[in-house]
Amino acid sequence: MTGATSMDVSRRALLGGLAAGLAASGVRAAPSTPRHGGSIRVASIATSTADTLDPAKGNNSTDYMRHYMLYSGLTQYDGQLRGRPGLAERMETRDNVNWSIRLRRGVHFHNGKPLSAEDVVWSLMRHRDPKTGSKVANIAEQFAGARATGPLDLQVRLTGPNPELPAILAGSHFVIIENGRRDFSTANGTGPYICRAFAPGIRTVVTRNPNYWKPGRPYLDRIELIGISDEISRVNALLSGDVQMINAVSPGSVKRVRASAAHQLMETPSGIYTDLIMRADNPVTSNPDFILAMKYLTDRELIKRALFRGYATIGNDQPIPPFHPMYNSNIPQRPFDPERARFHLRKAGLQNVRLPIYVSQAANASVDMGSILQEHAAQIGLKLAVNRVPGDGYWATHWMKHPLTYGNNNARATADLTFTLNYQSQAAMNTTGWHNPRFDRLLAEARASTDIARRKAIFGELQWLVHEYCGVSIPAFITLLDGYDRRLKGLFPIPLGGFMGYTFAEYVWWDA
Amino acid sequence: MLHAARRLPLSGKIGLAIVLFWLMVALIGPFIAPYTPGAFVSEEVFAGSSGKFWFGSDFLGRDVLSRLLVGARFTVGLSVLAATLACATGTGLALTAAVGPRWVDELLSRAMDTMISIPGKVFALVMVAAFGSSLMLLTLIVAITYVPGNFRIARSLAVGLARLDYVEVARARGEGRLHLALVEMLPNMIRPLFADIGLRFVFIVLLLSGLSFLGLGLQPPDADLGSLVRENVSGLGEGALAVLVPALAIASLTVSVNLLIDAATQGKAR
Amino acid sequence: MSGSASAQRPTWIAPLRLIAARIGAALLTLLLVSMVIFAISGLLPGDAAQEALGQGATAGQIAALRHEMGLDQPGPVRYVRWLGGIVKGDPGTSIVANQPVSKIISERLPNTLRLAALTSMVAVPLAFLIGVFSAIARGRRLDRALNVLTLSMVALPEFLVATLAVLLFAVKLRWLPSIALVPQEPTLGEFLRAYTMPVISLAVIVVAQMARMIRAAIIAELDRPYVEMARLKGVRPGRLIFRHVLPNAIGPIVNAMALSLSYLFGGAIIVETIFSYPGLASLMVNAVTSRDMPLLQACAMIFCATYLLLVLIADTVAILANPQLRKG
Repeated sequence: MTGATSMDVSRRALLGGLAAGLAASGVRAAPSTPRHGGSIRVASIATSTADTLDPAKGNNSTDYMRHYMLYSGLTQYDGQLRGRPGLAERMETRDNVNWSIRLRRGVHFHNGKPLSAEDVVWSLMRHRDPKTGSKVANIAEQFAGARATGPLDLQVRLTGPNPELPAILAGSHFVIIENGRRDFSTANGTGPYICRAFAPGIRTVVTRNPNYWKPGRPYLDRIELIGISDEISRVNALLSGDVQMINAVSPGSVKRVRASAAHQLMETPSGIYTDLIMRADNPVTSNPDFILAMKYLTDRELIKRALFRGYATIGNDQPIPPFHPMYNSNIPQRPFDPERARFHLRKAGLQNVRLPIYVSQAANASVDMGSILQEHAAQIGLKLAVNRVPGDGYWATHWMKHPLTYGNNNARATADLTFTLNYQSQAAMNTTGWHNPRFDRLLAEARASTDIARRKAIFGELQWLVHEYCGVSIPAFITLLDGYDRRLKGLFPIPLGGFMGYTFAEYVWWDA
Repeated sequence: MLHAARRLPLSGKIGLAIVLFWLMVALIGPFIAPYTPGAFVSEEVFAGSSGKFWFGSDFLGRDVLSRLLVGARFTVGLSVLAATLACATGTGLALTAAVGPRWVDELLSRAMDTMISIPGKVFALVMVAAFGSSLMLLTLIVAITYVPGNFRIARSLAVGLARLDYVEVARARGEGRLHLALVEMLPNMIRPLFADIGLRFVFIVLLLSGLSFLGLGLQPPDADLGSLVRENVSGLGEGALAVLVPALAIASLTVSVNLLIDAATQGKAR
Repeated sequence: MSGSASAQRPTWIAPLRLIAARIGAALLTLLLVSMVIFAISGLLPGDAAQEALGQGATAGQIAALRHEMGLDQPGPVRYVRWLGGIVKGDPGTSIVANQPVSKIISERLPNTLRLAALTSMVAVPLAFLIGVFSAIARGRRLDRALNVLTLSMVALPEFLVATLAVLLFAVKLRWLPSIALVPQEPTLGEFLRAYTMPVISLAVIVVAQMARMIRAAIIAELDRPYVEMARLKGVRPGRLIFRHVLPNAIGPIVNAMALSLSYLFGGAIIVETIFSYPGLASLMVNAVTSRDMPLLQACAMIFCATYLLLVLIADTVAILANPQLRKG
């Protein structure tokens, strides 16, 4: 390798393929020039007393949105999930282990304090302190150390090579707070909006930050963020004009939103999926033939048609979606084939067993997926008892704790993150508990490699290993649906999540 | 029986007919359902009425009629059981309190106050979170929720009665407490109590649907009438049969039960 | 015995003693509830540390956070500490929101009280009128019409009624807002518009329940011999109802009212959810789901105290109104 690679260049080269895949839904030329002013109310899926101004504790889309309004990251996602320069002007590395970061000059926190390298060191390293209660502590474990080398310069050292660091740092948990800040009763960030009112479980009110480091931005004067957990009520609030933007429109409500002349729908194909988890530590669900039987028993077409009304991408029992640059298109699509499932079941000697299967509203669409699977299983002599359990406590008490459970996986910015967090045998969240030495070895190799073609080949093989051997059935990737008032302009999908990967606040303007 | 039914006013007869209809559905519904309630039989979701699917299809393309026929059994069975359980327990305890020693009354009243002051839906939420959702647990939760309410009504009636002269006379006669409670007092409480049972039945049906709104109802693919309404409520805007039919079923059930009870209790007065 | 004792004392002593006893009993109940709530919350699987860290938590993180939150202390120790705080007026700190429970509740309690008060203002007179008139007109056309009215009011699940109302009045006609988020300083118009649908949705249920119990209570009284006697003596029906029947039926009537009105606190959960109204019921559900025990317990205590207060008022009214009970 010759010298340092600038992040901008290396990222574009790395994720270049994604640009083509998303061209259709990517950045569109703005139809009119942005204008200042306007005040909107946004309703997200949930609000509770757990709402927080501490980015490390962000727990759901409402939190992520709030944090992107108030804080900025070292990098920022664009429509192709590239980590664009944010507070970091440059990020350079020779070995993907030691990174030197140069900060943008003249950035100020909302309280007037100028941004310095110490703030960044604090913001990154606090995730490693258990007392912080960080949601991304497992990702932050790779931060071996960070130190300021000048007022605007710092060095970050990783525990092993990771070329994806710029994309990781664009996540909402890694946004930058003030050095030493532990009290989050109010927010002091460098973000596009300033916190005016914050009542957990009720509302967040923010107003335009006139000193934002991006000249001219943001455009709106004021945003009020609330949560409406009931989907029907959320759509009603949009259609009645009480809110101007909502996320998580259910496919069943699409017709209603489309029928309204004053509203529009944004589709964001995402890597988010709901998966059936067959634990490797149970004699039945670890049986390779049982695993294959369940995979063949998954009626992907029906799930896509009935549960998602077409707003989904068919999955192939591996976690990388087709529009991802690392997607392996050579793995044949697994069909719905009850006869084949019956064959594998018989081969495993497991006809007429009775198994509980845990579903919950906490895992999106799992209640209905479980019902569908149960129905088809009954027809080949396999008795599945669907146990619907409450959403609260689901992740702690049920998910991964029984032989058959459903789970949800968020879209990750990179294939590496997806595999590292959920499929590596040592991972704390290795959901199926499978252990595949070849998989682990290849993953480590991919990380160390800077050769893009090689990495893609390895990630392709990892997908095949999961597709064939891992006790996970991934029927579909969910297409996220946001509804908004037509007068709201400047939106484009960022495939990480709804509301432009939660970052809409600094991009949108009100055209009225 | 038949004689009594013939003497009912028209509203009572209508009520009786509908109640009998739903009891019948609860008994034989699952046997006459044209499809398995969980089967995905229609390509179209929220389809309208057709020869193949009389009440159309639901949000997943399942047959609404079949799900209704099976769902009615859960709603009717569970509600009847829970209402009976709640009122029998509540009234029994109330009579015990009214004729028993002072401390029993105090103890029961405190216990009931403690129970009733915890909101039903929150209680259900906690119990389901703690023990998981099952048919039996659901019946128990609902029954327990409505015991204290019935207790308060019944106790206030019974205490009123206990002070009346004829009860005092019976007491002076040396009648036992059991006799006082069952022979002297209970018959005079029956009418308001019946009104209470009727309304409590309605509230149980509605509490069940409220629980399904909060995601605490029956286990899928089973669904009571309230769950059917809830799971198809997104079709409300387009007037889907999948939501209208179970809603109508609930309405007809609750109204008819009360019409019947009203008529029956009034009939006795004449 | 008690009868002869009270005969020598002024007549107000006995009812006062009764009421004092009721207050004592209410306080005892409150203590019982605190224990029950504490015990029930112990049944919940998982705890705040797990819920807070969610899907991606490791065992080490959970242990650290649990210690931080004081969850590793034994149950009785936590109970006594908490009860001591309550008595001193400090319900502790929410372990999820990391704010004083009193602060969180103070943001919600006025909302719940306002909604309950508005609903009562609509529901109580309405229920009373319906109940009295249908009792007087027992068996006649008016009674039957009112009966069908109250029955159809509670014939449908409340989430369906509320959703239908929103579809009609907010989405279709755009007369009323679909969510009851009242601005910080509302005008009277905004205030009324925001509250109309939640109040009606709640009132419908409460009115039906109250009206039917009031009717039943009055009818039970009407069937008493003394009413027949008074009728034979030629007492006019209006006078009969208001001078003789109502005072005697007041016990069950206020009882029914207390029961129904207590529903406006905890039972408002569905209305709060559909209209995104930040009240106490949704706060408590929130506390259950996030395993925020101090908050859960504080909410439960408020619901319980409110209920006991309502019942205390009902009992007091009943004692003061009923000559028989007044004797002790």
